[in-house]
Amino acid sequence: MPDFRPNRRRFLAAGAGGVLMPLLPASLLHAQPNQGKTLTVVLPSNPITIDPINQLNHDAMVLGQTVFENLVEYDLDGTLKPQLAKALPTVSADKKTYTFDLREDVTFQNGKKMTVEDVKYSFDYLLDAGNKAARRSLFTRITKVTVLDPYKVAFELSEPYGPWLYFLTKYMGIFPAGSRQEHGDDYFKSRPAGVGTGFGVFETWKPNDYISFTKNKTYWRKGLPHWDRLVVKMIPEDATRVAYLLTNQVDVISAPPPREFNRLKTMPGVTGASRPTLGGALLMYTNTLKPPLDDVNFRKAIACAIDRKTIGEKVYYGLLDPSAVPAPPRGWWFNADADKELAFDLDRAKAFLAKSKYPNGAEIDLSIQAEPYLLDTKDAAIFVQAQLAKIGIKVNLKVYEFSVLIQQAIRGEHQMALQVFMSPGEASYIIQVCLTPGQVLSKSTGYDNGELNGLLAQAFAETEQAKLKELYGKIQMVVARDAPLGVLGYVHASNLWRQGVQDFKVNQGLTMSVGEVKV
Amino acid sequence: MFRLLAGRFFASLGTLFFVGLVLFALTRAGPGSPARIVLGADATADQIAQFEQIHGLDRPFLEQYITWLVDVLGGDFGKSFVTGRDVAGEIAGALPVTLSIVLFAFIIALVVGIGIGILAALRPGGPFASVTRLSVVLGLSIPAFWLGIVLIRFVAVELRWLPPGGYAPLSAGLAAHLQTIAMPAVSLAVYYIAVLARMTQASLQEALRGDYVRTARAMGLSSPRIVFYALLNALPPVINLAALSFGYMFGWALIIEQVFNIPGLSRALLNAISQRDFLLLQGIVFLFTAIFVLANLGADLVNRVLDPRQRSAA
Repeated sequence: MPDFRPNRRRFLAAGAGGVLMPLLPASLLHAQPNQGKTLTVVLPSNPITIDPINQLNHDAMVLGQTVFENLVEYDLDGTLKPQLAKALPTVSADKKTYTFDLREDVTFQNGKKMTVEDVKYSFDYLLDAGNKAARRSLFTRITKVTVLDPYKVAFELSEPYGPWLYFLTKYMGIFPAGSRQEHGDDYFKSRPAGVGTGFGVFETWKPNDYISFTKNKTYWRKGLPHWDRLVVKMIPEDATRVAYLLTNQVDVISAPPPREFNRLKTMPGVTGASRPTLGGALLMYTNTLKPPLDDVNFRKAIACAIDRKTIGEKVYYGLLDPSAVPAPPRGWWFNADADKELAFDLDRAKAFLAKSKYPNGAEIDLSIQAEPYLLDTKDAAIFVQAQLAKIGIKVNLKVYEFSVLIQQAIRGEHQMALQVFMSPGEASYIIQVCLTPGQVLSKSTGYDNGELNGLLAQAFAETEQAKLKELYGKIQMVVARDAPLGVLGYVHASNLWRQGVQDFKVNQGLTMSVGEVKV
Repeated sequence: MFRLLAGRFFASLGTLFFVGLVLFALTRAGPGSPARIVLGADATADQIAQFEQIHGLDRPFLEQYITWLVDVLGGDFGKSFVTGRDVAGEIAGALPVTLSIVLFAFIIALVVGIGIGILAALRPGGPFASVTRLSVVLGLSIPAFWLGIVLIRFVAVELRWLPPGGYAPLSAGLAAHLQTIAMPAVSLAVYYIAVLARMTQASLQEALRGDYVRTARAMGLSSPRIVFYALLNALPPVINLAALSFGYMFGWALIIEQVFNIPGLSRALLNAISQRDFLLLQGIVFLFTAIFVLANLGADLVNRVLDPRQRSAA
């Protein structure tokens, strides 16, 4: 061996120096985005559009709702309130004409005053099939928008359909007449500066990093917003999202990891809260056209074999309210009797199975989503698998990406599929989309029942809550009788924020509400 | 040399075409249409057909591939189906981010890995070699994403020395830039430090056992000089491995960028995969392939400069 003595001290000192060079004092840390009156909020996903008529992801709707507004607003408590209209609409006796009086003090961010011409233009654009609005189908019952005077507009519907008002906040927005032709669709998708009436003016979109907005200084609700700049960051990794909050890099985060939520919200400098959503259901699409799920007793055996309370408390740490019917337990339309019909009871489950065409049990595939959305459904799927094994039903878990799983469900290629389904939180939406024919997820259940369809049509024509409650109660009884759709419960929306943040409230509709937040 | 360069250039071009074709086939063979992502779960069959027609997704596979390849060779990577943004612009924006992290990690891996390897080779039975052996096993075993999360937890959250993630470009200042890339680069480098240290140690020990080392020592050459000559002979496999490592680092950056919330190419690639953004996905993977091919070409050229036997074989 050669007698070579390298200067190890120097070598190590140089190496250590190189490694430690970036470790400068904390005061020199890269400029933190939450200095001054900037509100920084974090999404767990990467948005693809700000266009209000093409919104898909409920977290990312904070972007569209910052720039655009609607005639009415379905607010964070689940109450329908006027927004750009002076009051809720007057509805004709036949429930087919809705008339709105517009506020006269609203201007677009480009300085133009908002009138009914803009409202008519926006709805005409949405309803034109050539414009490919993602949620156009929710509004196709609107046959005509008529300008009555500069601040009064009437909507004529082909048939009574009250729910459309509840879909506006998530899937629609008012923009200036002619703006689509002037700017093009890509402008609304990725840089909609000046074309909304909302409290935030689009500033910049840095792909895969953040989207920022500045305060709309001419906002019609005087004094709002309280911040000068809003930064919406995208941080998909749970641990990193939490680390950003704990190091004061951001102010509010959405979708905190459920397992850590209760611990994190009690940490010094951090506040957190959750509230039940009215539209976020953990659903198990049961394909009633495929054996063994073609047997109603077999489906009811499955429904009664699942202990939803344990799933809510132990699997999801209290962030899931158990429900066996498509209605949230805290919603005004929830029918406890219908829920009881499908509640956890192993003896009843065994009795239903014995009555079915498959008394000795069967084997079924349960498709689950690979990437968590609101909750990680894999956790519940394993629990369901263990529970169904107790009554002799063998469940094979099949994991798919969201885009694959949803297409399976849409085409009816699955047997059972477990997914968190986020809806606007209105009573009819899940029932209509999953349990009536001609809808996007009709084949996810393959269910078509004249009695349910008739009850739903009656509900669409009703406006009084007491009567609606009775109708939706009956619908839930039909669902409990036929068990065409597995429901495990309704998820909570939850957020964590820094203690310096004031007036932040968790939205029952999941989307962060940031207009009134103080930094 | 010219013949070699020309030969390697055309071989590399062939590799790129082949990878492009396989990539094109794989993206289209996978389940899930980009139309469903863009238009939403409740898009009708007509809407999906219209989307596919507008973006040429309904055309025969080979026609789509040739159109894409011709456009790429002309510098046009197309427009993202999902975001509508220019793919070339998106890549140009994200490439410097990934490149700065990978380059920093690569330099750390080279300097520390080769340095440790040399020291361990010179003292094969000593305590340093034992520590190196243990460190190499650790370095090979620790998953980069786990190390990243641990670094965030302790260095960013507990000690508050560095930001937990994000990226500050060089234009924001050297200190800010280094602060944001330090933890990602270290997480990325650890595995390759271990790999390069082990290869350097083994290769140098082998070279030091050569007859010419014994002859050189008998002729009275100084130890540093002997080690230098041995190192020249030991380096070719290390350089080959380093070139491969450089290419692989872009792949591992996929996870690192996700953990540290860095808006680089890998993050864009991951989003492109989940959103079925074919053009962006193809553009990024094509670029990664080109980097990999170029890194290997570079390694071959460096080896020929270092090793006269390879020059004479050309």
